[in-house]
Amino acid sequence: MVTQYGIKLAVHLMTNHFGNVVAKVCENLLQRGPLTLQLIVQLTELTPQQVTSSLLILIQHNCVQAFSLEQQGGLEDGPKADTQYMVLFSNILHRMRFSKFLKIVSGEFDEECKELLHGLLQHGRLTLKQMVERAKNMIEREKSSKREGICEDIVQENLLKLLAARYAERCPTHEAVLAAPVTEETTAKKRGAKSAKRNEESVTIEQRVLGAAAPMEAQRFSIITNTGSNVSREISTNASSSMSVGEKRKYDSLELDREPAAEEEEVVLFRANFEEFMRRLRHKACIENVRTRLDDGSSIVLRAMLEAARSLEKKVKTEKPVPLSLNTIFEEVMKSEEGRGMTLDRVRASLAQFGCSPSARGTDESYSIDLKKIVELAQNDEVSLTLVSKDMKIHVSVTKRCLTFSTLQLESIVLKRYGRDAYRMFRLLSKTGRLVETDKISDTTFVEKKDAPKILYKLWKDEYLHMEKLVVAGARQSQFLLWKVNKPSLQEHVLDEMFRAALNLSQRVAYEREKEKEFAKRTVLCPNN
Amino acid sequence: MSRLQGPSSHKRKQPEPNSASGSLTEHERILYHVIKSKQNMGIWTRDMKWETKLPDYVVVKSLKSLQAKKLIKEVVNVQNKGRKHYIAAEFEPSKEITGGTWYAGGNLDTEFINFLQKHCVKIIYEQKVATLEGILDTIRRSRAFNVEFTPQQIEEIVNALVLDNEITEVESNGMGEFDSIPVGTVCYMCTNKGGRKGEPKIGAMASIPCGVCPQISLCTPDGIISPQTCVHFTKWLDF
Repeated sequence: MVTQYGIKLAVHLMTNHFGNVVAKVCENLLQRGPLTLQLIVQLTELTPQQVTSSLLILIQHNCVQAFSLEQQGGLEDGPKADTQYMVLFSNILHRMRFSKFLKIVSGEFDEECKELLHGLLQHGRLTLKQMVERAKNMIEREKSSKREGICEDIVQENLLKLLAARYAERCPTHEAVLAAPVTEETTAKKRGAKSAKRNEESVTIEQRVLGAAAPMEAQRFSIITNTGSNVSREISTNASSSMSVGEKRKYDSLELDREPAAEEEEVVLFRANFEEFMRRLRHKACIENVRTRLDDGSSIVLRAMLEAARSLEKKVKTEKPVPLSLNTIFEEVMKSEEGRGMTLDRVRASLAQFGCSPSARGTDESYSIDLKKIVELAQNDEVSLTLVSKDMKIHVSVTKRCLTFSTLQLESIVLKRYGRDAYRMFRLLSKTGRLVETDKISDTTFVEKKDAPKILYKLWKDEYLHMEKLVVAGARQSQFLLWKVNKPSLQEHVLDEMFRAALNLSQRVAYEREKEKEFAKRTVLCPNN
Repeated sequence: MSRLQGPSSHKRKQPEPNSASGSLTEHERILYHVIKSKQNMGIWTRDMKWETKLPDYVVVKSLKSLQAKKLIKEVVNVQNKGRKHYIAAEFEPSKEITGGTWYAGGNLDTEFINFLQKHCVKIIYEQKVATLEGILDTIRRSRAFNVEFTPQQIEEIVNALVLDNEITEVESNGMGEFDSIPVGTVCYMCTNKGGRKGEPKIGAMASIPCGVCPQISLCTPDGIISPQTCVHFTKWLDF
């Protein structure tokens, strides 16, 4: 479940972007999890029409995903009675990052591509036809000399560029259908009872819904429709025909899961692929971290490996490690201006700096990136490289050198908020991962024995440490205090603080803008004052 | 630095024969016996009174006499500096009483520790990669200190530097700059390339006022402390 201030921040964003009504629906979904339309109406005390419109807006902007559980008796037309709506908290937060996503694209492509992405972000999802219409409207507005005739080709070409780079993707299905919960007997055959239970618990409902809704991997970044034509033909349903690009999209009904009739053409909607943008941002942060921790050369090599792996990733499944020969890595390094000055030995030395040590070195050195770890990198902010040298896998975690960013955040907060002594003590407990007695902490960290308990108590009071008392009975009863960093609960606590900080910042910015407007108004009314 | 005494000085000396105790009063003998029985842990005056059941004025007088006869000495208990703590003269106070190697007069000798740490960082920076043995050897050869350090003492100093993020602990892979160090050996490198005091990279949260504010839990939009009226925000935004 989302933390308290996570919900407040999301509601604040939704209020600013879509108004109070939509925000109210969103808030209920965040607080209570997936709900049916009926329950939302009941809980929000809004009219069914208001709730329906709100859900449509949230779905349009990829903040909500509809799903239902598979029912026996075949499919029915129209929305199922048990259709539930699940809020996608991450996608709400991504709305704060739109400017960063645009910056990434403007760094790699031209202004028109960036404008295309801007349209996708602004409208949530668009068909190719709508993208073309939008581009035409812009040309008219700007009285540009560009010929309208080539507009469609340009837009399609730009969309293809974004799809190839995975910055855009096909939208998921409007309503995912989840298979009925799998019984233990069925899965036990394949994986064993215990591991099956663990796996099920670890796959959240959100992951299941998104997995079921996602288009097939082969289609996800393709512009080609099922009809086999190169250009998708948009359907002229009631839903899309009345829309004009530049306005928020409104659907007539929530019948988004209707199977297209034979005479209707397929509607293909595209949207920005937040996953890829986040991965790029994390890679960038990781490379920067390596640059700070090690040197520029190592960061160039890491960037080259990630680039090479990314292009291979498109061809192979992410689960299997793909070997990268030293030559491949070197070629990728040479592509950048900073890399051209590096020799093969320097690249090899950088790989060694990551802690990689192949058991045998021959003429055919190869390294592989475990692509699954790279995907996990986006989630865990760690870098892992798997070395394959003559069929022998050596898994190396670069986290020996790179701190996880979550640890970095925690430690820098402790340093700035509580001081250097607290910083050392926190790092000690963080590394130890178990309960440590007060005196032992003060001895190891060179903190005065009389000061250590006060600092530790302050950290405990602010929920940065866990504390336990140990009473030893003897001639005289002695009490010892033991301390520990409880990472999972601490990370959640700090995450909530981060949401709170983001909300505070947003409120302050809104307040400053309001002040500016008032000042401008007064200046207009009374220019001499 | 002559302040630091090596580990041998903490060893208990052999207790001297009872030549001085012959001239003790009965109360002094009882008190001396109790103090001596605590060996290098010593005893607090209140505990003495509780154990011996002697009246206050008797204990005070007897302690003065025993001190004058140099049979006992007062030591500072680092855990409770305000308490009067006594130990038999032939013993050296234990680590629990003094605080250990790095304490002097009941206080952490931060000046000495900082000096030694700076020296270790300089050695590591010059060598680029250094093992514990290497650091100890360099210190010995440099003759910058009057005392002999044990490997454990240098390890304590170096571990604190790791916690301060001034140096990083790594394992040798035998390649590149580790080629002279056996694989798997723990060694140390400077965190910052310049060998300067390591200011750790600040995370995004710590770089904004809310991230480091101790009052964050009290801050609300309508409260006395609020984002709109926050003075830290005003200062931060004032560019």
